[in-house]
Amino acid sequence: MNKELPREYLRFNVLERTQHIVLFTTFLLLAFTGWALKYPHVEQSQWWIRMWGGPKTAGIIHRVAGITMLIDFIWHIVYMVRKILSGRIRFHKDTTLIPMPKDLTDAIKNMMYFTGASREKPRFGRFSYIHKFDYWAVFWGMAIIGLSGLFLTFPVEASYLFPAWSVNWIWDMISIMHSDEALLAIVFILFFHFYNEHLKWDKFPMNTVWLTGKITLKEMKHEHPLEYELEFGEKEGDDK
Amino acid sequence: MRRVCLIASLWILVLCLADSAGGSTFGCLACHSAMKGKIKAEKGLVDVNVDSEKYSQSVHGGIDCISCHKQFGANPHQPQAQGDIPADVAALASNMSHKAKVDPVAVAACAECHGDIYNSWKESIHGMNIIDKKQSAGAVCTDCHGSPHYILPKSDTASPANRVNVVKGCGECHEKEELAKEYGFGTHILERYYESFHGKKYILGHENAPTCVQCHGYHDIRKWDDPKSPVAWDNRMETCGKCHEGATKKFVTAITHKPIGKDNPVPYYFEKGLILLLLGTFLFIVGHVLLETYSEIRDRFFRKGKEEHHE
Repeated sequence: MNKELPREYLRFNVLERTQHIVLFTTFLLLAFTGWALKYPHVEQSQWWIRMWGGPKTAGIIHRVAGITMLIDFIWHIVYMVRKILSGRIRFHKDTTLIPMPKDLTDAIKNMMYFTGASREKPRFGRFSYIHKFDYWAVFWGMAIIGLSGLFLTFPVEASYLFPAWSVNWIWDMISIMHSDEALLAIVFILFFHFYNEHLKWDKFPMNTVWLTGKITLKEMKHEHPLEYELEFGEKEGDDK
Repeated sequence: MRRVCLIASLWILVLCLADSAGGSTFGCLACHSAMKGKIKAEKGLVDVNVDSEKYSQSVHGGIDCISCHKQFGANPHQPQAQGDIPADVAALASNMSHKAKVDPVAVAACAECHGDIYNSWKESIHGMNIIDKKQSAGAVCTDCHGSPHYILPKSDTASPANRVNVVKGCGECHEKEELAKEYGFGTHILERYYESFHGKKYILGHENAPTCVQCHGYHDIRKWDDPKSPVAWDNRMETCGKCHEGATKKFVTAITHKPIGKDNPVPYYFEKGLILLLLGTFLFIVGHVLLETYSEIRDRFFRKGKEEHHE
């Protein structure tokens, strides 16, 4: 009955995987070269910045990585828009990345399961609320940090854009935005993303989906039951 | 024997030459490089000892003591010693005697060799406050450059005028509450500079990061509302333009040392809001991860196999 079922399911194609690789390489470079500038008073910042070739070189690496990340970001948006316009992505409540009311109830259900208040795990679609949070946090971060970073890289050009009544505070705001949001992004990735994709029992040392793009059907059934049912049907998929 | 005579006469010659070049310096330093403690003078305790080794290594190391301490030219320890003091130095010395702890002539003597710098300094807000208004606040040469005995080239990182020390040097006065109150400048200026991108890069050792003097000038430094100040509104485009090519009027208004506070509400509340967002997100992710870790351990060890049947 389930002989026709493949053993693996392609979750991310090679373009999507490339986007992710460019994203995290530039992310790491940006975090490493920007960190010392956020805390210059700390003694360790001095040797850390020297490891990146000194403040001048680190600044160049930071700018090149930043622009590369923004290009990656734009590529991703164009890619998604084209996919949507050509009909290759159709909205379905169980496969969408758009936050849905179900995500909130899933989060509450999951918390109840964690604490033991409930014995029932929420059943996720293609993207759980955790994935959506991860995705949109990075999306928002790239927009905010990327934009403020561009302003800081080209301050003279950026000054044309701001109205005269904002000049007294806009630059303070942009600096705060860039540095605080960056801290948020780093802590978020280090804690949430690393736990969910690297440290979790089933995932340690890492979820290999970023390399192969594939997950096993068993994993899919376990982690994305709603998508599994949508793709392979509930009855056929029941291999017990 | 002839050889010994030759060496001896050469040695005497060297001694004679050294004496004519060093003049009184050796004599003064015989005592003044071996003195411990301080001497009570009219204006408090004074250190009259000179580290002869550091002195000889300084750029002024080859200069006689009496080149600057002119009034000690004759008999240095006579109360009303009067050496050969040029009239202009004497006049300047009496004009800035309130800045000198012991020897106003020596303080004024810098101007003799560094006349061009003295001329631009006396036009500065520091110079005018001392010479014209007879105030004690304001920097004279030694306040920024350190003791003339040990003065080093500006390129030496040990020099107080070197870029690695200059900001701290300005802060010596510009962070002082009482001076800030009297002259109406803010004590937060250095703090705000250190928080800015310019200041952060400076701390990390970026060689292009501007210090105070790159924007405000140094010897002829003026208050920002003086039309001759490089940070006066009309001059800012040129000053900022040194690094930020094409700086416009709108661009140059951006930089202030205004503190982020309730009187500057937009960034103040914006930052507060962002911190709230940060803390909220941290709380959520930390809580989520910790709870999930707990449930994973529970499922693995205490509910073996059961979690598979989640339907």
